[in-house]
Amino acid sequence: MIFPQAMKQLVAVVLDRDADQVTRALLDQGVMHFVSVTEMDPGLSERLSAGSPRVTEAMISEIRRRIEGLFSLGGHGLAAQADLRIEDLRALDLAAANRQLDELAASLAGIRERQQALQQEILKLEDIRRQLGMFGDLTAGLQARSQFSFLSIQSGTVRRAELQAMLEELKSIPSVHLEVGPQDATLATMLLITMKRDDGVVNKILDRHGWAEVELSRDALGGKEEVLADLDGKLAGFREEQEKLKSGIEALIREKRPELERMWANLRLNELYSRIQSYFSHTARTMIFSGWLPARTQEPLDAALQRATEGRCYLEWHDPSEMSTAQKAKVPVQLGGPRLLAPFKMLVTNYSIPQYGTVDPTPFVFVAYLAMFGLMFGDVGHGLVLSLMGVLGLATYKGASQNIRNLLKLAIWCGGSAMVVGVLFGSYFGLSLLPPLWFNYHGAVAGEHTVGVVKDVYGILLITIWFGIGVIGLGLALNWVNRLRRGDWFGLLFDKAGLIGGWIYAAGVYIAFYFAARSYKQLPPGNFLFLTIGLPVLLLAWKAPLEFFLHREHKRFQVSTLIDWGMEWVVEILEIFSGYLANTLSFMRVAGLGIAHVSLVIAFFAIAGMLRGPAGNFSPWSYLVLVAGNVLIIALEGLSAGIQSLRLNYYEFFSKYFSGSGKAYEPISLRKLK
Amino acid sequence: MGAVQKYGFINAKLRARISKILPEALSAEMSRAKSLSEAVELLRNTDFSVVESVFGQTGDIKSAELELARKEVRLYLELEALTKDEVRSIVSALAERFEVDNLKHALRLWFDSHVRGRRIDAGVGYLLRDRVHRDLALDRIVNAGSLEEAAEALTGTPYGELVARQAAEVTRLQSLFPLEIALDHHFYRQLLAAVDGLGTRDREIARRMIGAEIDLANINWLIRFKGFYKLDPERALACAIPEGIWLSPQAVAEAYAMDNPSAVLSELVRRRYPALASLLTPREATESYARLVLIERILAEILMLEVRHLMAGYPFTIGILLAYFVLKSAEIRRIKTVLNAKFYNWPEERIMAAL
Repeated sequence: MIFPQAMKQLVAVVLDRDADQVTRALLDQGVMHFVSVTEMDPGLSERLSAGSPRVTEAMISEIRRRIEGLFSLGGHGLAAQADLRIEDLRALDLAAANRQLDELAASLAGIRERQQALQQEILKLEDIRRQLGMFGDLTAGLQARSQFSFLSIQSGTVRRAELQAMLEELKSIPSVHLEVGPQDATLATMLLITMKRDDGVVNKILDRHGWAEVELSRDALGGKEEVLADLDGKLAGFREEQEKLKSGIEALIREKRPELERMWANLRLNELYSRIQSYFSHTARTMIFSGWLPARTQEPLDAALQRATEGRCYLEWHDPSEMSTAQKAKVPVQLGGPRLLAPFKMLVTNYSIPQYGTVDPTPFVFVAYLAMFGLMFGDVGHGLVLSLMGVLGLATYKGASQNIRNLLKLAIWCGGSAMVVGVLFGSYFGLSLLPPLWFNYHGAVAGEHTVGVVKDVYGILLITIWFGIGVIGLGLALNWVNRLRRGDWFGLLFDKAGLIGGWIYAAGVYIAFYFAARSYKQLPPGNFLFLTIGLPVLLLAWKAPLEFFLHREHKRFQVSTLIDWGMEWVVEILEIFSGYLANTLSFMRVAGLGIAHVSLVIAFFAIAGMLRGPAGNFSPWSYLVLVAGNVLIIALEGLSAGIQSLRLNYYEFFSKYFSGSGKAYEPISLRKLK
Repeated sequence: MGAVQKYGFINAKLRARISKILPEALSAEMSRAKSLSEAVELLRNTDFSVVESVFGQTGDIKSAELELARKEVRLYLELEALTKDEVRSIVSALAERFEVDNLKHALRLWFDSHVRGRRIDAGVGYLLRDRVHRDLALDRIVNAGSLEEAAEALTGTPYGELVARQAAEVTRLQSLFPLEIALDHHFYRQLLAAVDGLGTRDREIARRMIGAEIDLANINWLIRFKGFYKLDPERALACAIPEGIWLSPQAVAEAYAMDNPSAVLSELVRRRYPALASLLTPREATESYARLVLIERILAEILMLEVRHLMAGYPFTIGILLAYFVLKSAEIRRIKTVLNAKFYNWPEERIMAAL
């Protein structure tokens, strides 16, 4: 569990005629992280040729993305890739697929055009509505046109036989028309509102249809509200129609969805098929491919390839242990571990991918991160809220990305850790509802007389320093394991986090506590100091010369080389001493954040106390302050504690052992979206 | 107030926003899309999702662009609220560009309607009616009987007198360009006045950046004067915006006298931005359309080089603000170019050349 999964390398030679069956088998198994054969051995590039596929992966993925765009336009996301089956792989006709999509796009464009035409109408009516809103009385508009009005308001009659044609012509102009006045079978009495700037065009239309101006009484005209209501009704009608058109697009895509999903699935299958074949190198009659897979999947893949080729294949399996250090560094890494640790795996991979064969930091980050967070945010109530927020988030954002879901799961874990530590500190929303199992953090911060191992803030600081020493010590031990596994004896001994570095660190810790225990007045005896500090420092002086002779790579020894060695030694010593001191003291931030957390709680309780009612009880304002205060603490401190825990892991813990130069294992699989 | 205190917060905020600026690869992907609708769809989960939602509702790309402009104005005003004193003055002066552009838009509608006799009903709906710094009586301007009447509608703003002063010239030339240039002059004048209030280091940075922008604006005008308006050299020079940083009036005059006005740009590129010299290929320089596209591309590249220079420098200066505004404008211009090109069914190659 603490090392990445064991990997195997496959180099396979199969006959060209089996290419299709082999590709299908590889895709079905979905375990191969392909590597170009010529990348493994550049010499082969002269003897092998790359395949020339009929359709490229890029051509396929472009159409696939086009369909995905249509899915989201239809209001629903991607098709479920989990349902892909290799048996459904069919030959691809890209032109036909494009034709089909073009037809759908043309139908959509037609709807868009209608939407746009409606929008133009809406804009024109909105223009008139805006003017009308600013306008005073309509009758005033008829009699005396205000110099600041851009509306032209006319009343008149037109023969009913001409009415429809006239209104049709007016459609292209921003206008409002209402039939007013007495009902008449042959003549329609109209109120017409247009923009002044269109007077020329409007008057021509009116003349053409025999418009005769008439003066209407105030009663016959009706109020401005009536016209506005008519306009609003028209606008609402247009908007409703637009909404219908939008739903029409969704309905059209919904109707085509089964067909599109089938097309999408075949495209995706062909895309992956094509991607696998892009790794095939060819000779006259055979093809060669290579890649990595988890060792546990060797047997099933071997069997699948034998079946696919009916035994006409040559499979060569290699173990990374047979390879040089440089080759091992290229082995892709698959981090294992239970799914529960996925949020912590995310924290690790965000930093980098560990090198193959080295320790997988995930389980250690799981413990260290949660311990740090709990110490900074230890409160049952606050932890509970954080966990509930995580649970609620997961339930609400089911379609969220994996990273967001992992963050929400991390919040649940962090909340759980805060609750456990809260029980140890006896803190429940800042109240001591139950006695602490470890020590009273609030009491220690507030300066109350407490019993137990920790009585004041110095005690808290001391705990976090010990905690830091433990984390750094663990980092050193993991580094030694990594070096041993890589057979890097030089690094094991001389690396800053190697055995000598660890020796100096252990001695430094002992001496610091010895000195502090004697009121900063007495150091350990000289012999002891020499053995614990002097000797490893002298041993370090050999690092540069040994490195020179072991890995000198054509460098010539000169007098100045001696000076370089001396300088390197001094700098190395300074780096070790200052580095370890800074790394250890850095953990005091755990205490700092924890103390700030408690101090804020105390401060909000003090403010709530100041707002007590006349009877000395908490008033509603007091409770409001407590609720708001707790929300603030959870948001502010939760974020700070999360970030600081991450920082401590990345910079103080990882820097001791994490060689993050690995490459992630990315098989071509039916179940991956990339 | 120290530089860190003054720019710490805004720097962090803007750098975070800069990281969200859409990559150019997305514009390329949009240009490959088979239809406008499919291109817009690619903006769904981005900062431009408003374009997708408005277009989805209205099918009208101009309405979507208007919403985008509205969002941009809100962003400037928000940044104005987040800054203080002289930095705020700079943001405020930069935001004035929206007001100037919107006024130009309204004046162009007026010109189309009253001088060219065109119908403008469709255009009026796309005027940005959000207040930037002043309430502009846009309806009065669009519907004004004359430019003097439009100037009267702008009384109480810095633009009233400016429009009145150019009215006769616009009528004489039957072109809006003297007024548009006057508005550009006004914009840069008030921006440079705001720059004068900055500290020494900030002033130097801002002058360099704005100066580069003025140079580019001048080159752009120069090409149009020569190519479209056929102005005489003296008149053209009088129109140049002062305070450019690399191009002296004499250089502009010499360039204008040349047969090929883009030669001045070539000279600038070779002298100041040798990294871009590869863009000046002889083949492209011979065709007039290709030359215009090339010039636009070079102008954009020059600005980007200045921005990269600012981004790599000391972080607590006015530079981050200016860099953000340039990057954001470039991003919006890219997206608008692709959308409009898709609307007119341009082929992918032509869109890419225009980007």
